[in-house]
Amino acid sequence: MYYEGRQRAALRAVTERIEPGAAVAITGPSGCGKTTLCRVLAGFIPSLVTAAVDGDARLDGLSVLAADPATLAARLGFVQQDPEAQICTLRVRQEVGFGPQNLCLPRGEVEQRVDAAMEAAGIAGLADRDTPTLSGGEKQRVAIASILAMNPGVLVLDEPTANLDPRGAKQLFDTLRGLQRERGRTLLVVEHRLVPLLSLAPCVWRMDAGEVVAHASPRSACEVEALGGRTRHREPTERPGPGRVVASLEDVWVDYGERPVLHGLSLQLRRGEILGVIGPNGGGKTTLLRAIAGLTSPRAGRVWRAPGARVGMVFQHPHQQIFERDVRRELEIDGALGAEDLAVLLRDARLVGLEDAAPLSLSQGEKRRLTLATTLRCSPDVLLLDEPFIAQDRRNVEWVVERLRQARHGGAAVALVTHDVPEAADLCDRILYLGEETFLGRAEDVFSELSGAGNEPFTPGYWGTVR
Amino acid sequence: MTTSGTSQPGLRCAGPVGHLLLLAGFLWVGLASSSVVLKAAAAIAAVGMGRLSGESFRGFLHGLRPVVVFAGLLFVAQALSVREGVRLLPFGPAITAAGLVSGAQMATRFLVIVTSSFLFVSVTDPDRLADCCVRAGVPYRYAFLLVLALRFVPFFRRELAAVRDAQRMRGIRTSVRGVRALRRTIRYTFLPVLAAGFGKVDAITMSMKGRAFGLYSRRTPEKGCLVRGADLAVGIAAAGLAACVVFAERAGWP
Repeated sequence: MYYEGRQRAALRAVTERIEPGAAVAITGPSGCGKTTLCRVLAGFIPSLVTAAVDGDARLDGLSVLAADPATLAARLGFVQQDPEAQICTLRVRQEVGFGPQNLCLPRGEVEQRVDAAMEAAGIAGLADRDTPTLSGGEKQRVAIASILAMNPGVLVLDEPTANLDPRGAKQLFDTLRGLQRERGRTLLVVEHRLVPLLSLAPCVWRMDAGEVVAHASPRSACEVEALGGRTRHREPTERPGPGRVVASLEDVWVDYGERPVLHGLSLQLRRGEILGVIGPNGGGKTTLLRAIAGLTSPRAGRVWRAPGARVGMVFQHPHQQIFERDVRRELEIDGALGAEDLAVLLRDARLVGLEDAAPLSLSQGEKRRLTLATTLRCSPDVLLLDEPFIAQDRRNVEWVVERLRQARHGGAAVALVTHDVPEAADLCDRILYLGEETFLGRAEDVFSELSGAGNEPFTPGYWGTVR
Repeated sequence: MTTSGTSQPGLRCAGPVGHLLLLAGFLWVGLASSSVVLKAAAAIAAVGMGRLSGESFRGFLHGLRPVVVFAGLLFVAQALSVREGVRLLPFGPAITAAGLVSGAQMATRFLVIVTSSFLFVSVTDPDRLADCCVRAGVPYRYAFLLVLALRFVPFFRRELAAVRDAQRMRGIRTSVRGVRALRRTIRYTFLPVLAAGFGKVDAITMSMKGRAFGLYSRRTPEKGCLVRGADLAVGIAAAGLAACVVFAERAGWP
């Protein structure tokens, strides 16, 4: 399969078969064709996306290449990668009912399906919320519920836990397990994090350059690692002791409308340390970064930054902080670069050969590396990162982690918002949990408190022991 | 699927039918009345109704700020371009009473139309409006375009805010002074937003098709009745606006 105008095949001679009721996990580096494969199965390619396709893809014997995606909708449900981009109504209940209404089902059945899907996705309390006001994780759950309400026989999920907090991810995996075992649904899940998927006993396809290059049925984290999935077994590195305070919050309160988000939060960011910020969706993690950066003004309390301290922030969505027409100019916004410096920057960001490429045409991983490189170019004293690991393969995650360690060694204070609890445990010196309660302290102390408070999904041990 | 709106403030307790009638009343004032006073009063009433309907006064006015500026520009341009009549000032640009009246007419007409449209968009639930259109016989594929268009409004607003925040974090200052600065501002502000918009259009098309949108010529309608008591009350208010136009014309209001 070739996308229009591309010389490189997006999919190459993929020949696979999925039995009814099976679970398949697809993994592989960014840009290897995972999402493309899902789109082909959902009938979006070549119906909605122009592409040259050879061969055939069948769903219950029906050729999906020739079918209108709408006719496949009752058989196959596809949850796309970006939840924000697939919500098409303005209220949660309407969004979840959108599909069943299009199927012309009786109103009573629509209501029943909507209630069941919202319950399964853990969003029963959000029924009357306006969709634009939801957090990223809440939108992800709405997107999943809206597909569950269609009651399809085959569920295709493209990185469904990317925006979910650990509790939400656990809930989703429990739901998927129930759908597979009790209702015989067939599952196809694209995931970089394979260990939590082990409970589904999946067959794992590893893709590379448009091909399925390996199959396996791993039953342990070690077997996952052998497949090249994302697991964390890094050698511990030397950590500098925390230095002077470079930014602080004192009794900070932030509200969005009538909804309080930060409640009297106090903390200090010190040079040479990484603060991990974890917690449930909508708990105020991004708001905290915005308050430190001066982008959000608190209703009460004080945010202090050391005089002259440079603050750099890497946003959750890289496209929002890309401005120029090519990579070279993007790197030079903060001042012209000599040929040698440019070459070093490009090499460091693994963007060699892409200096004349349009930044917005880069892959998600490349965009992420570009935005982090441009932020680091200013040598920030305070470095803020909002979910930098979302939709990143292992190589990119390792690249980001290495840059954060370098920033810490360089004396920067780093605040990292992430749902990747094991990564936070591995990397961060202190952890701030923002949820129903607030915990702040050394990583091991906070995880111990969270475990004691019944918040196991927010502890690294939970994700390391899932079977 | 629709939640009851009876406990909601102001115009929100009425449905799209009432809102459409009220919009028609305001548009009638804006287009049919020659009274500047009536049109100005109608524009103020629209803002007041927004406030009564739970809209933040500051937010409402903030959204209307460019509209007021544009109305002021219309007034100035019209006042300067009409040359008929006696000059009011012996020096400077030729400003006449006819020019001022014409400018006030145009500016207040523009204000009524925009403030009432703003009010309509603020208080009308697009999903219910689309449902009303479907019940009125409009094919749901077309009726839903309205919902989609409105779905994009907060998206673009949020993307724009995020891009501006990103500019602040990079120390990028945008300006519209001079062609070069304007081009840079457009590139740095609108291109990222547009790029996000194009990406969203593709994804939303897939999302809708992937949920059987367009599979049948009909879809399950929303819950709730087409016209409620509150709609009748709002309809009477709209009729009152239309009556005001007739009264003002007969009474010769300025």
